Amino acid sequence: MTSTGLRTKRNWSWHLSLGWLLLLAAAALLADLFSLPTGPDLLRSNAAPLTPGHLLGTDSQGQDVLRGMLYGARTALLVSIPTTLLASALGTALGVAAGYWGNTRLRIPKHWLGSVAVALIFYIFFAAPANSVLAGWWPWCTAGGGLLLSVALSRFSQWRTTVALPVDSLVSAAIVFLAALPRLLLVVLVATAVTPSVTTLVLLLTLTFWVPTARLIRAEVRRIRWLPYLEAAVALGLPAHQILLRHVLPNCWHVVRTAVPLSLAILISLETTLSFLGVGLPPELPSWGRLLAAGRIAPSCWWLIVFPTIALLLTALSLRRLVAAPEPHSRVLQAP
Amino acid sequence: MAGRFFSQLGQTLLISWGIITLLFLLTRTLPNEQDLLARFASSSVPLAASAQQLQVAQAQARHRLGLDIPLFYLTQADVSEAPLAPRWRWTGTQNQYHRWLSKLLQGDTGQSYRTGEPVGELLRGSLYHTVSLTLLSAALLAGLSLPLGIWLAVSGRRLALATLFALDTLPLFVVALLLLLFLASPDMLALFPAYGLGTDAVSFRSAPINYLSYLVLPVASLVLTGITAPAVQLAGALQVEIKKEYVLAARAKGLSAAEALRRHALRNALLPSITLLTDLLPNLLAGSLVVELIFALPGFGRLLAEAAAARDFPVLLAGVGLVVVVRQISLWLAEALYLLADPRLRNRPA
Repeated sequence: MTSTGLRTKRNWSWHLSLGWLLLLAAAALLADLFSLPTGPDLLRSNAAPLTPGHLLGTDSQGQDVLRGMLYGARTALLVSIPTTLLASALGTALGVAAGYWGNTRLRIPKHWLGSVAVALIFYIFFAAPANSVLAGWWPWCTAGGGLLLSVALSRFSQWRTTVALPVDSLVSAAIVFLAALPRLLLVVLVATAVTPSVTTLVLLLTLTFWVPTARLIRAEVRRIRWLPYLEAAVALGLPAHQILLRHVLPNCWHVVRTAVPLSLAILISLETTLSFLGVGLPPELPSWGRLLAAGRIAPSCWWLIVFPTIALLLTALSLRRLVAAPEPHSRVLQAP
Repeated sequence: MAGRFFSQLGQTLLISWGIITLLFLLTRTLPNEQDLLARFASSSVPLAASAQQLQVAQAQARHRLGLDIPLFYLTQADVSEAPLAPRWRWTGTQNQYHRWLSKLLQGDTGQSYRTGEPVGELLRGSLYHTVSLTLLSAALLAGLSLPLGIWLAVSGRRLALATLFALDTLPLFVVALLLLLFLASPDMLALFPAYGLGTDAVSFRSAPINYLSYLVLPVASLVLTGITAPAVQLAGALQVEIKKEYVLAARAKGLSAAEALRRHALRNALLPSITLLTDLLPNLLAGSLVVELIFALPGFGRLLAEAAAARDFPVLLAGVGLVVVVRQISLWLAEALYLLADPRLRNRPA
């Protein structure tokens, strides 16, 4: 996306979207402050909206729908925000590395590479003798040994030559590998195999979700890489970390900024899908997906389906509105 | 051409093997063997069994399922006192992975942990419904997105576009639930049957209309959520192509606007849509997981979901392997289609 996609027109619909998102965040943060009925209300199960005490009705177990909506917002944000941040960070790092260094430009001295390989092989294949002093310190021992080896090897000139690390090929291979299974299927399969908790779900989603960001960033950095100002920075002899942090990252920041709200929207809908299927999150955690699952069992209770659907739709559309132009047919269609 | 063909084939096989192996190790090394054994032991042992009888039954179950031999070529060695003891022990070819893979190469996918039926038959039975569901959806998606994309590019209706984007943002299961709520609930319009495939064994051959009526809502939900991406992409590509000079030349030649679009711009605009085609079948297979659960269809997606919930690994791995292979074949097909459609690509170095 070029710089035309950057300036979104801030008219009434933009402010409305922002307002809804702020409301959602407030609901998630302040859900504890409302005095909502916590336990199941067994006298009024399947109560319609506007029943006294239950503004949005109850489900077949007598659980309050308003409470489910508020705490569901908390769950949705609790899963999607950390995942988006972690996945964007991982995707940006890998995308920048792949785009900037390519297959040939990251050169690593042989003594360094060789000692890391030896230390790793040593650590993976051999164990320290049990009951000895070394047992607890084994990782540190191998790391220290590797360091010593690297210092020793660097005295020989043939070990000081460098070899290129094919960063781009490695990242592309990881992307191809992750793309071999549809994401929903992959997440459902792995999530059923592990014990459900928010942390494992966030980690699992992060590991499968960095791909789109990495792709976008890689393309953008490959474009930036040959611009004159970057060549000037390289010619000046600036160290790589300074070029990356001060010249490359600020210029692909706009890609991340457009990608974050969109992946947030996708993750919220993925979280509700997983909760609907009863996968990945502990069953006692309220979620919009669980309300919808209750609505599938009792199809005559329309309020169990309509309210979460409206919340989901408004959230996704607002997040989209934050990055997209107000006239969709003129600007969104022009995006490649 | 031949070199590219074989390298692509090799890559396909390598990726499929890698993913299946990874999933095999990932699912087997998790600490849930005890639940599995408990389930098996409880079915064959009388209720008041002693602890020793239970142990014997568990050992028998382990032997029957092939869980009594090591998992992989390498197993973690016991802790030893010797300095620099190897962490891993070589176990030879008598391991679960080797046995499973060599059987798989001979076409034997093993037996389900849950029911004891052969996995191949289970998959074949479930695919019968899923293939009709996904192929029908794929045909409808391809057939509808073309005119929809052209119409969007020519008229650029805001309302239609907003509706499409709203459909795109909603998760698949919500669209399916809304369809259930409005079109199959006794309170609203009960136009279509809501769940399952009706009474015993409705098949396409015996009662085609009846069978299709059960597929209307599942197919509709897959098509409604899937149509935005191809239609909008086609419309965008068309808008770019229309502005190019060759279209102007076609108009100057005397073609009408619609004809210039159909005969000249459309061909060029369709090229990027091939990429979307590769995602279509695997995505529909993944979508069928949700749709079949909601509409209670006895299909492939439901089989996978139930196998995952019950940790029925032979079924799970065979199903995932099938999806991976479908995905790789469609990627490969797309590559071939690209080469057919665009002669410029044929001479480019790979």
